[in-house]
Amino acid sequence: MKWLVLGLVAVASLALAVVLGPTHVPWSALASSDIIRSLRLPRAVLAFLVGGALGLSGASLQALVRNPLADPLLLGLSGGAGLGAVLAIAFHLGGVWALPLAAFAGALMAMALVYRLGLAGDVEPDPRVLILAGVAVGAFSGALTTAIVSVASAAELRNAFLWLWGGLSGASWDAVLVVAVYLPLPALALLAAARPLDLLALGEEPARYLGADVAPLKRRVFVAASLLTAVAVAVSGVIGFVGLIVPHAMRRVFGHQHRALLPAAFLGGGILLVLADTVARVAIAPRELPVGIVTALIGVPLFALLVRRWTTS
Amino acid sequence: MRILLVLLAACGTGDHGGRAAATTPAHRIVSLSPAVTELLFALGAGDRVVGRTTWCDYPPAAQRVPTVGDGLAPDLEAVVAARPDLVVLYPSALNEAAAAKLRSLGIAAILLPQDRLEDLARAAQVLGRVTGREPAGDSLAAAIARVVATPAPGPGIRAALIAWDNPPMVIGGGSYLDQLATLAGARNVFHDLGSADVVSLETIAVRDPDVIVVLADSGATGPPAFARRASWQVIRAVRERHFVTLRGSLFGRPSPRAPEAIAAFRRLLEAAR
Repeated sequence: MKWLVLGLVAVASLALAVVLGPTHVPWSALASSDIIRSLRLPRAVLAFLVGGALGLSGASLQALVRNPLADPLLLGLSGGAGLGAVLAIAFHLGGVWALPLAAFAGALMAMALVYRLGLAGDVEPDPRVLILAGVAVGAFSGALTTAIVSVASAAELRNAFLWLWGGLSGASWDAVLVVAVYLPLPALALLAAARPLDLLALGEEPARYLGADVAPLKRRVFVAASLLTAVAVAVSGVIGFVGLIVPHAMRRVFGHQHRALLPAAFLGGGILLVLADTVARVAIAPRELPVGIVTALIGVPLFALLVRRWTTS
Repeated sequence: MRILLVLLAACGTGDHGGRAAATTPAHRIVSLSPAVTELLFALGAGDRVVGRTTWCDYPPAAQRVPTVGDGLAPDLEAVVAARPDLVVLYPSALNEAAAAKLRSLGIAAILLPQDRLEDLARAAQVLGRVTGREPAGDSLAAAIARVVATPAPGPGIRAALIAWDNPPMVIGGGSYLDQLATLAGARNVFHDLGSADVVSLETIAVRDPDVIVVLADSGATGPPAFARRASWQVIRAVRERHFVTLRGSLFGRPSPRAPEAIAAFRRLLEAAR
């Protein structure tokens, strides 16, 4: 029943995104309209896949670092992915298919750095220090990205910077294809790790006693979550907070078991980003808001609430 | 805006900021805007310009003047090192702070709006006065005013002025390029928007311009890169390859060369239709 509702909401949000837009398309013309076929439909599908990737990535990262505040943006993954993508463009390696890989390399570097900082002498990283390290690495990646763009004079690089914050306005069927090719492997890898992630949520020591192969599991989840984030960043720039809010909302309905939580986070992330992007497109039409602004407007208050609950408990 | 008017009035009546400039003609001028540099050279005061921005590339003689930075956030040390008796700036928040600082150092500084050709006519008058070339300033102002008052022939080609492609950003009614397009006989389909706004591709498609106008860096040739992207093909003018590419500094800023810019723009529009 819960799954049916979630599925119906997903379909409804996609339908809404296709029907609503800054311009009026009459019902009779919906099927034949170029605007629907080559603009709204690919954009809605892309928003769904990107939101799903971020939701799934966020849910697995929260289990992995055992911190409810984990999110691809706050852990520095998105910033690292953005830096990787901009570097690739600076060195003229930025084809549509290469960009996600460059972003992936950047995300992995950021993740490794965050983990080194998070360890801080102990064998097991402190979940709180990990978030601090993530914010620091994210800010550092952002500064490097800005520095590269400021130094470079090439118009395409300035374009890259705007693209980084541009959200989904560059959506096309090509971008959908790129995501559809890169997304399944890391998504399936995470879904397959659902059981061990349940154990890991208890802590690394207990998980080890209960038979989880902790080190390889962590590596696998890190790599998969980084790739998901990288693909999202490569097609739509840095969009924050989807990976933070969605897992929490889904945990309330679907519980803490990752076998249900992970697919629910994927669907929920898709729904949230499709709706946020619809708001971005129509709220101040004919002008458009960056979708990252909309997700931040929803995400930051919720983040504040989570921090309060987490620090008081 | 009110502050600017006060400042303009001030340098006219000769008190406060414009004092030195108004009583004795300025002899060492730092111009922190390309339009002002062009105006000063057009007034025959080019030999008194002792500092310019890296953007001040016209007339060619201006390129022999030493630069004091890119002018966006004025490099006050470089400006003061040029020992100016007058600094002319564009009224932005950073520049207003810089002007106040310069005045506290005893250097006259004036802020001149230059967003549209009307502003430029007024700026020509003010600069004529502060350089002791009032007749030249007044006649240049009158010439610019005539250009503004000359209506474009014909019904107007519907145009979208694209400032950026991802996210798509269009130039609206508040900007100089909109005015230039109007004077050249085009009708900006986004005249109702601000100076530069992000819009959806479908909004451009529905407003259905006859031509797409882009400002290009001087190096680029041919239609813009976005013309090849699949999603842009929903726009009829893109499908039909009706592009007008404006190159170089002639179109990018209001200048005494406006008549030349309008004529060139008009020819390009006719060719693209």
